[in-house]
Amino acid sequence: MVVSSATIKEQLQACHSKEDTFRTLVALSKRLPRLSNEEKIEEHKVIGCESAVWLITEDGNGTKETRHFKADSDAKLMRGVLVAILSLVEGQSTQTIQKIDLADKLAELNLSRYLTSSRNNGINAIIGRIKAISN
Amino acid sequence: MSFDPILLRQQFSILSLNANGHDLVYLDNAATTQKPNCVLAAIMDYYQTSNANVHRGTHFLSDKATNCFEQARISLAHFIKAPTESHIIWSKGATEAINIVAYGIEGQLEAGDEILISSLEHHANLVPWQQLAKRTGAILRILPFDLCLGSSLNTASTLPLTSPLTNDDPWENSLKKEYSEYFTSKTKLFACTQVSNAIGTELPIQKLIQLAQSVGALTLIDGAQAVAHYLVNVSELDCDFYVFSGHKMYGPTGIGVLYGKTQALEQLTPYQTGGEMVQQVSYQETVFNQLPYRLEAGTPHIEGAIGLAAACDFLQSHDRQALLAWEKHLAKRVYQALSNREPKKEPNREPKKEPSRELNKELLKKNIQIYSPEDSTMVSFTVAGISPTDLNGFLDSKGIAVRSGQHCAHPLMTELGISGTIRASFACYNTEQEVDYFIKTLFEAIELLEEE
Repeated sequence: MVVSSATIKEQLQACHSKEDTFRTLVALSKRLPRLSNEEKIEEHKVIGCESAVWLITEDGNGTKETRHFKADSDAKLMRGVLVAILSLVEGQSTQTIQKIDLADKLAELNLSRYLTSSRNNGINAIIGRIKAISN
Repeated sequence: MSFDPILLRQQFSILSLNANGHDLVYLDNAATTQKPNCVLAAIMDYYQTSNANVHRGTHFLSDKATNCFEQARISLAHFIKAPTESHIIWSKGATEAINIVAYGIEGQLEAGDEILISSLEHHANLVPWQQLAKRTGAILRILPFDLCLGSSLNTASTLPLTSPLTNDDPWENSLKKEYSEYFTSKTKLFACTQVSNAIGTELPIQKLIQLAQSVGALTLIDGAQAVAHYLVNVSELDCDFYVFSGHKMYGPTGIGVLYGKTQALEQLTPYQTGGEMVQQVSYQETVFNQLPYRLEAGTPHIEGAIGLAAACDFLQSHDRQALLAWEKHLAKRVYQALSNREPKKEPNREPKKEPSRELNKELLKKNIQIYSPEDSTMVSFTVAGISPTDLNGFLDSKGIAVRSGQHCAHPLMTELGISGTIRASFACYNTEQEVDYFIKTLFEAIELLEEE
């Protein structure tokens, strides 16, 4: 899932219709490695999403200072969104993750066309969880 | 067909909208229908010519408003064949109507009494009874899923429930006995949907009402999914209560009806009190008003009632059997396009020809599981390996409005072992062209979203 946030931004900003955005997110979803069933447990589930979403963080490069993220969802669209979100925090230090305004960064990605109000709540729940588990 | 859906559509301004760069295709009618311009005009007209508070004040406008409002009650009584308008209690919708009963009969229940519901209920006809059971110590019992499906009226071709009794009548042969086990001397209330909102199954409510009556239980029928499609005759059904929402039958939101037999309504303790519902008030005591006002506290939703009456007029100005036949025709068109009607092949046998596009479609169909009956006004289905929200998202991007998810029926979805379905539900204004576009777009979505 090594897609830079700049590339994702470029791809999403080039979308001119809801269908374009949809297809781009589906394409992005393929970059997210799936979680195993053992990892998809209640403890890793993000409450408040329209589709089931699981999110896990691990030490990046063997150190607690940087974070590595793994995530999955039943829905491809959500997996595409997860690729976009995680590109902003993957491999970053805990301090950076705490400071970063994820909602603001996501707004720049031109996702608003895709994000209905109920999906937005889900995104907020994911952002909340990222901050909570990156301590 | 004695009506023209293209002509009829013209009465719905909203249907000419553009959605995400495409013509809007509205197939979420089981959630709420669109409103014909005559309903909107009735609401506008009320505010422009008759607005005042009802049942009080004696002036020109108050008289006019009261007349319009009470005339609406008469229209609704005619619409569902209630004996008189005093049987029509206005509510916010089916949900509030059920709550009026659930709170109203609380004093009549004792610990150990039973409340019986089907396993096809919307949360609106489940949670109020579950909570009532918790408050009173009564027991909530559920008619088993297999039994409910096995007696479905939509499969009437194989189960002639409505035909004259014969030796082959499955109701007399087995179903009656199976159902009877759930109706006991402890059953105080039987609440049941006429048509499942999630999977379109029709229950044999007439027979079930009779069973409930044989044990002296009160009966409540949730008609929310039925009134827009079927002719309802509450007098013939002989249920104690019948509830529905206006917005699912071309009327406005925020208005619905609790129909009740006089005796059943009189036994309800008003669940809201305040103005309008009283005759005499002192600081110590209140004498409640007579029916229907006794159960309608506060200023009512006047324009809602008037708009709903206009929706009744709209429906009654058409041949309702023709409207229903059209809706079922559209649903069947989708059903047949999605179902695998090929003779069953040997499992794992590879197709011999090169996979053409048509053949590919047949392969795509193999993953489609339809949960609604063929004879219905909706199609509720899943596609193996594809999340309903993804399908919904793609359809939306193409201007098509359907519903995905659990349809406020979590226990039913658990019973089916699925996380949700896609539901396309039809109204009289939908067209074959819309249906064909939906089918084509759905297959496009499946091809895009299939796992590699």
